Amino acid sequence: MKTSPKIQKEVIESCKAGDEKAFAEIVLHKQKKVFNIAYRMLGSLEEAKDLTQEVFISVFESIKDLKEEIKFDAWLTQITLNHCRNRWKYLKRRQYFNSDSLDDPIETEDGNMPKAIVDPSGNPETIYEKKMIQQFIQRALLKLKEDQRELIVLRDLQGFSYEEMGELLGLPGGTIKSKLHRARMDLKEVLERSAH
Amino acid sequence: MDCEKVRDRFSSLLEKELTPSEEKIAREHLSSCPECQRELGRFEKTMQWLHSVGEVEAPDGFLPELQKKMGEQKKATPDEKSRGRWFNFPLSLKLPIQAAALAAIVFLALYLTKMMPMEVSRLKDAKQTSSSLSAEKKSEQELVQKEVERERRALETAPETPRPKDVEQAKPPIPGEEKMEGANVPPVKAEAKKTEAPSSKTEVMTHQAIGSKEAAGGKVLSLKPGKIEKGLVAKEKSVAAPKPPQKMILRISDREKGISQLRDLVKQFGGEMITTEGNMFLASLPTGSFPEFEKELAGLSVSAKTDKVIAKKQVTGSLRAAPVVKREEVDEKSKEPARLATDVESRAIVRILLIQE
Repeated sequence: MKTSPKIQKEVIESCKAGDEKAFAEIVLHKQKKVFNIAYRMLGSLEEAKDLTQEVFISVFESIKDLKEEIKFDAWLTQITLNHCRNRWKYLKRRQYFNSDSLDDPIETEDGNMPKAIVDPSGNPETIYEKKMIQQFIQRALLKLKEDQRELIVLRDLQGFSYEEMGELLGLPGGTIKSKLHRARMDLKEVLERSAH
Repeated sequence: MDCEKVRDRFSSLLEKELTPSEEKIAREHLSSCPECQRELGRFEKTMQWLHSVGEVEAPDGFLPELQKKMGEQKKATPDEKSRGRWFNFPLSLKLPIQAAALAAIVFLALYLTKMMPMEVSRLKDAKQTSSSLSAEKKSEQELVQKEVERERRALETAPETPRPKDVEQAKPPIPGEEKMEGANVPPVKAEAKKTEAPSSKTEVMTHQAIGSKEAAGGKVLSLKPGKIEKGLVAKEKSVAAPKPPQKMILRISDREKGISQLRDLVKQFGGEMITTEGNMFLASLPTGSFPEFEKELAGLSVSAKTDKVIAKKQVTGSLRAAPVVKREEVDEKSKEPARLATDVESRAIVRILLIQE
């Protein structure tokens, strides 16, 4: 797992006691992780930023209910995923993603970029090409089902173990593996379709 | 191993999760199946791309912005917080409350819309009644003054006032009338008034007289009984006072003969001569025999024509009171006025002018 630095137990306890400095430390340690999950799940930097704020507000309000400080990371990821699911539903209801297709420019961390469909058989070497690939992948991820996207984001982008994923998603490891494989194959199909 | 099974194990193959024997079987199939080989190549590329996706940096100044947002939320007044809490209530609790509120609103709306027209019409009626009463009060006063003056003039021209009998006959209905009117409710009177459109001067006068009585009736509560009686008597006097009698012209060749014939005719119809002044005669006749009398008088006339100066108008005070009674009959559906009508319909005064030809 591409883990963010571990937070000390004392910091979490201080935050539980309402210490704002401890909370600020937690935010600084975990903001990148939460923001990345949100961005990959929603495909919008603005939405991801807003959602990350909401996640940390929830953390501050409910950290006193966290019983095992050692499970803070899993707890934070769970909160993030829940917020992502709610926000996804909300945006879908408002047809936020309707106009979004692989032919439209997509927002990346550098802003909107022009459409560039790269032949999957090609060999991306330059940075520009790498960015194109990232954009390409992000678009394809948004075409997947939400639970499939979750699996790919957690495993292939965030590096969670199957065990962690099983705990987070409440599924056995075998199910996680087979579902993840299905999601990857679907992603491959999406990429192939959009490349031709 | 078929293609489908091999393709299902691509992930496990790449993550090295297959047992050595499973991996061997899969590799054997791949080496003999170019299609599956191509599929594995694409899958590997997808995974390669996925793993190449780097992390994005969190937005600059994320923490200060977050702290600011949290500060704003803290500042929110308790009212706003409680309002926000409503949205967090479970739907199972919110729905019944909303349904009850909606039902209450609908009930209130129906209740108010049903009530309103009645209230409005009542108010309108009340307004109309009060305004018409005040207007009629004024007009009544003017009318009474005019009438008094007219009576005075008539009295000046006619040497003798009508017989007290006429006045007496006219008096009795009044208390009865007043009683009935006193029992009336103003809106009902207003409605009765609306139905009757004034068509002639007489009707207008009658109408106004009723109006004045109504006004008096409406004020009964505030007036003392003595005052009411006084007012009624005064009013009755004005009503019973002699009006310019019906005028007829009798054209004759012989004056003496004509006078005696006229006297006979008056007596014949049960009437009597009231005054004689030169060629002007004032006679009192029973109203019932009046048309006959008129005919006979026309027969006496040399030129065989009797000029009606004022026609069709029943002049007696008692008769003038009759329409009022009749109206009350209609309005109140009372049986009382029938008796009054027969009592008062008694005599008519006629003025006859002799012209010698």
